[in-house]
Amino acid sequence: MTVGQRTVDESGTPARGWGLNTWDSPWLNFKFLLGVAIVSLILLFGLLGPLFWDTDLAYTGAGPLNKPPVWQEGGLPEHPLGTESNGRDMLAQLILATPSSLKVGFLAAIIGMGIGMVLGSVAGYVGGWWDHVIRTLSDSAVTIPALVVLVVIASYVQMTDTTAMALILAAFAWPGPTRLVRSQILTLRERSYVRMAHLSGAPALEIMFVEMLPNMLPWLAASLTGGISVAILGATGLEVLGLGPTRVPSLGLIINQATTNAALVRGLVWWWLPPIIILMVIFVGFFLMTIGLDEIANPRIRQFSSSRRERTAAGEAPTVVHGDGGIGGGEDAALEVDDLHVHYFTPRGEVIAANGVDFRVRKGEILGLVGESGCGKTTVAMAILQVVQAPGRIVQGAVRIEDQDLVSLSGRALREVRWRDLALVPQGAMNSLNPVTPIREQMADAILAHENVGRLELEARILGLLNDVGLPERVIDMYPHELSGGMKQRVCIAMAIALNPQVIIADEPTSALDVVVQRVVAQTLLEVKERLGVSMVMIGHDMGLQAQLVDRIAVMYAGNLVEVAPVESAFAEPLHPYTQLLIESIPSIKERKPLNVTEGLTHDLRNPPPGCIFQFRCQHVEQICRERRPELVEREDDHLVACWLYEPERHSLIELEEA
Amino acid sequence: MRGLTREYVLQRFLMYLLTIWLGSTLIFVIPRLAPGDPVSEMVGRLSLDAGYIENADKLIESWKARFGLDAPIHVQYFRYWGNVFRLNFGYSLSHFPTEAWTMVSDALPWSLGLLTVATVLSFSIGVTIGSLMGWRRTPRWLQLILPSSLTFTAIPYFMFGIMLIYLVAFELDWLPATGAYSRRVDPGWNLPFIKNVLTHAILPVVSIVLTSMGGWALGMRGLMISVNNEDYFLLAQVKGLSPSRIFFRYGVRNAILPALTALALGLGGLISGSILVEFIFAYPGTGYTLYQAIISQDYTVTQAIANLIILVTATSVFLLDLLYPFIDPRITYKRDMR
Repeated sequence: MTVGQRTVDESGTPARGWGLNTWDSPWLNFKFLLGVAIVSLILLFGLLGPLFWDTDLAYTGAGPLNKPPVWQEGGLPEHPLGTESNGRDMLAQLILATPSSLKVGFLAAIIGMGIGMVLGSVAGYVGGWWDHVIRTLSDSAVTIPALVVLVVIASYVQMTDTTAMALILAAFAWPGPTRLVRSQILTLRERSYVRMAHLSGAPALEIMFVEMLPNMLPWLAASLTGGISVAILGATGLEVLGLGPTRVPSLGLIINQATTNAALVRGLVWWWLPPIIILMVIFVGFFLMTIGLDEIANPRIRQFSSSRRERTAAGEAPTVVHGDGGIGGGEDAALEVDDLHVHYFTPRGEVIAANGVDFRVRKGEILGLVGESGCGKTTVAMAILQVVQAPGRIVQGAVRIEDQDLVSLSGRALREVRWRDLALVPQGAMNSLNPVTPIREQMADAILAHENVGRLELEARILGLLNDVGLPERVIDMYPHELSGGMKQRVCIAMAIALNPQVIIADEPTSALDVVVQRVVAQTLLEVKERLGVSMVMIGHDMGLQAQLVDRIAVMYAGNLVEVAPVESAFAEPLHPYTQLLIESIPSIKERKPLNVTEGLTHDLRNPPPGCIFQFRCQHVEQICRERRPELVEREDDHLVACWLYEPERHSLIELEEA
Repeated sequence: MRGLTREYVLQRFLMYLLTIWLGSTLIFVIPRLAPGDPVSEMVGRLSLDAGYIENADKLIESWKARFGLDAPIHVQYFRYWGNVFRLNFGYSLSHFPTEAWTMVSDALPWSLGLLTVATVLSFSIGVTIGSLMGWRRTPRWLQLILPSSLTFTAIPYFMFGIMLIYLVAFELDWLPATGAYSRRVDPGWNLPFIKNVLTHAILPVVSIVLTSMGGWALGMRGLMISVNNEDYFLLAQVKGLSPSRIFFRYGVRNAILPALTALALGLGGLISGSILVEFIFAYPGTGYTLYQAIISQDYTVTQAIANLIILVTATSVFLLDLLYPFIDPRITYKRDMR
């Protein structure tokens, strides 16, 4: 089912791009930038150091032995960080060693990334036999303990310089990037804009660089920074074991010399600690870059942390204004939705996704809730079920079942009402079942959460429910992936009726299914409703399907209800111009008519205009529509509409105001 | 349809063989690609030490013949594989009468014990922390505390180990710095010895666990966040299940699957890192033995250990692979629905 966030995106908030110059560019990630700053500082220390300090002091016999740093007793100002057992100056050694350690890391990771990009693109793009070979090779290469092989190699081959070492390390740096590039290409090539580029005949390389690379960039960068620290770790490991180049100073070599000269026992802290500190700072820098880039690449993580921040800022406890009264008596109502307001608190303002939604569902009836995508119908469903996702929140209103306001419930009290009184047939039946547990368990936990049932009775009941929706008994021990889409949806229906609830919310229950299966599922829903006498809210945008299934229909536009009417009169005599538009848009087999698309888009949901919300698309717009919001008023028998056209007094109303 | 299918086992087994073949071949090939050969280099070094060696050329040739290095490369390769299969790596060069394999198998239990404990601890602690970090209902105070457990994540094990030795063993003198047990206890199944072994293992285990658990935590956090947005997670809430059931059966149960894959793929790196930890702590496992073999130029032991480590890693990955279908029913799914 559509989780609220998507509704917001569809309603006019521009999608975040990867542009580097917008003020809220995702690259302006604090962790990433901090990491970049740290690594740059270390790099500057190594590169600019020789300008300020005599690096010749890094060689044997240049100074007195075992002198502590200058701030300790016995320290000498000409050796500010002290000297070790061969009289070498520590500062000079560190200055020379730092860039060489970084160089190995960069070189190895970049070569590895290059190999990985070539192999990964071939595997992902060419596919077939190539893909099989490359994937198998990289999968097995990635499990080989690299350092062991490196150690063996290094024990035969005397590595003379850092470049040789980087080349050998690169031999182990390619499987990660290869796997990443392959999986990214497989994901991206299914995206519609890449398919479009294919169809328009763009050459493969152009698609690769123009359409795919920019989208892979944060992932590649995260893989590169991760790869650099792994390569530095590998090189340092070899150096610490004394297997790296021995004539070139390196941080690992200093640690090796310190440990083999028992610097730990002798208390020569200034010998072994500074290289470790520099290395740790380097690793922390790259680590920050990597997790920052992960957040950039994975919007969900970003959204999770930012929504938490916003929740904290807005105060965790929802301050709900509980409305009462409203239209119509509630005696025969199974579900009352009362003046419901749901807002999404985005960085760019409050998105009003439901603005005073108010309706009743009578006992035993199906109420259809329709409207175009992004109008807030799924948000209303989520609000009824009390699962509005952050950054969204119910800011006002009540949802009542048997005089109990669900909005004011929480914790155990809310859990008890859920499913027993109010169940859901979800939109995405494909993904609504837990993929790793059998159907038996998923149906059982819904029942057991509310009732104490013995094992045998439980099984009999589940089998009975499956039978009710026309599924064979063997389904009970199957996993979701073993069922077809229609079967999954029927499992969801069986689950929804398990506790004989007062109300079932059906959120576009047939939308992802093909037409034949749609009929079967709709039929199942109707049968269930007839037999149990349950009330239902059926959310959808398929007016044709709604016409056949529902008793009354509620039309929603941009977060507001604009018309609520019995289905016959809604179709025979739609009052609101938007409803008329929706009904006209139903394709007919009998006649071909031009599609009537009105100009103008929905307004920005963050600032609704004064007056009627439909004014920009309405053909009959008048002065009053721009100034005053029409109320939902009963204009005919049981037929409510929010439109000035049916207010005979509208002209005098506006004149009165002007006077 | 569920559990292990023959196809899946066969496929994983081929992968297992491929990994061993790839690793061992690398060990065989790369030294031979390098200029020079071990024997000439060794004799060269000997003559440097002694100043002069009589008939150095003949010595080189006879040693090459002794090690079979005079045969054509493919013959050498087949012989090498024959030896790897029979676990016959010859005698240790530095501890002559001992066979290389004996030395290696003496060291193996220490490494296996250390690594198993460290890996299990780090994975389970990390996954727990990550799951809680990625769950919307985790209490706020816990959400604030948890990230502090990631402090040491970016630091390599062995560097942390050096600092632990300095602080805990030398400065504070709380725990022993090096070795697997003291000389004063009798090795065997007695309480003082077991206690002694455990106290010696604390620092190496802590240095691995504290530095590696953050990686699992971060990964798990991302996976939990994804599961949080899944439709089945929402439906579980609407069903009125208890938070703990949603957390375990719907959240962790699904999010842990990719984490287990990552564990299988990461074992190689874990074992690599432990070599340095053993070196720093002079822990008598395979890593430390490998290091000693290298400084004493004991090629037979080096090869034996490298092959053994590759074998053990590949076997662990294979076992994890065999376990996987029982945890994720989708993995062996075939499209033929009855």
